Amino acid sequence: MTTIDTGERRRGADTRPVITELIDEATVEAIAQEAWISLVGEDEVLVPLPGEPVADPLSSWVDVVGPWTGSVVLTTGRRTAEELTRALLREHSPEVLEDEDVADAFGEIANVVGGNVKAALPGSSGLSLPDVGDAPALRNPEDVCRVDLLWRGETVSISVQGALPPLPAH
Amino acid sequence: MKILIADDSRVMRQIVIRTLRQAGFDDHEIVEAEDGADALAKVGSEEPDLVLSDWNMPNMTGIECLQALRSSGSTVPFGFVTSEGSPEMRERAANAGALFLIAKPFNEDTFADALSGVIA
Repeated sequence: MTTIDTGERRRGADTRPVITELIDEATVEAIAQEAWISLVGEDEVLVPLPGEPVADPLSSWVDVVGPWTGSVVLTTGRRTAEELTRALLREHSPEVLEDEDVADAFGEIANVVGGNVKAALPGSSGLSLPDVGDAPALRNPEDVCRVDLLWRGETVSISVQGALPPLPAH
Repeated sequence: MKILIADDSRVMRQIVIRTLRQAGFDDHEIVEAEDGADALAKVGSEEPDLVLSDWNMPNMTGIECLQALRSSGSTVPFGFVTSEGSPEMRERAANAGALFLIAKPFNEDTFADALSGVIA
């Protein structure tokens, strides 16, 4: 039997989608707006405007593993992350916030945003538990969908970013 | 009625309790569990009338907890409150015996809709 090499299998193995083919900024922003209203407060809106660069940044993220593999990363200033934590805790907010409280609250926002981003992606994917700290490195500038928002005048950015380096050019 | 709320996030457990109250279910005893294994143990020790559980948790996930409960013969009413609300996850939840899946983000109306037939 003669097998004709059409190159189909090689192309299939050598390509993978980048996030901009799968989701757009408007969808990510809509997901974030819903999360804010539900978790942070009914009157809490995110304004789609880039703000000042964040001083003392803190990130929270979840990883998505599937046909597209990467992270959904929220980044804001540490003070803003603390303010978000107080907004989520409301009357349970302690006088002095522990790092653990901020990691819990800011991580949970990433979990909600990330879970909904995952649900908007095609195919079956896994979702990690949230992590908080320095943002994961950007591996492929082409594989990023980023929205810059303002909450109470402070910058909050959401980056849906691939975990893998670019494929070598042929 | 006793309701067991399982979530590894303390903040989210408080938000779930707050939303239950806002939805009008404010006269129930609440028990908290911090992961699936804790929930499994507390279903045995606390005998709740309803379990509201997150899906992704360390030690034991919510779906593993539900499967372990059903394998042991427990028929406790069980619903998920999770950030993963895709049709695939809803099908997995239903197949494992969950009554409903509330997707995060939620509000009091979502809770009222899901729970009105479950909580007296």
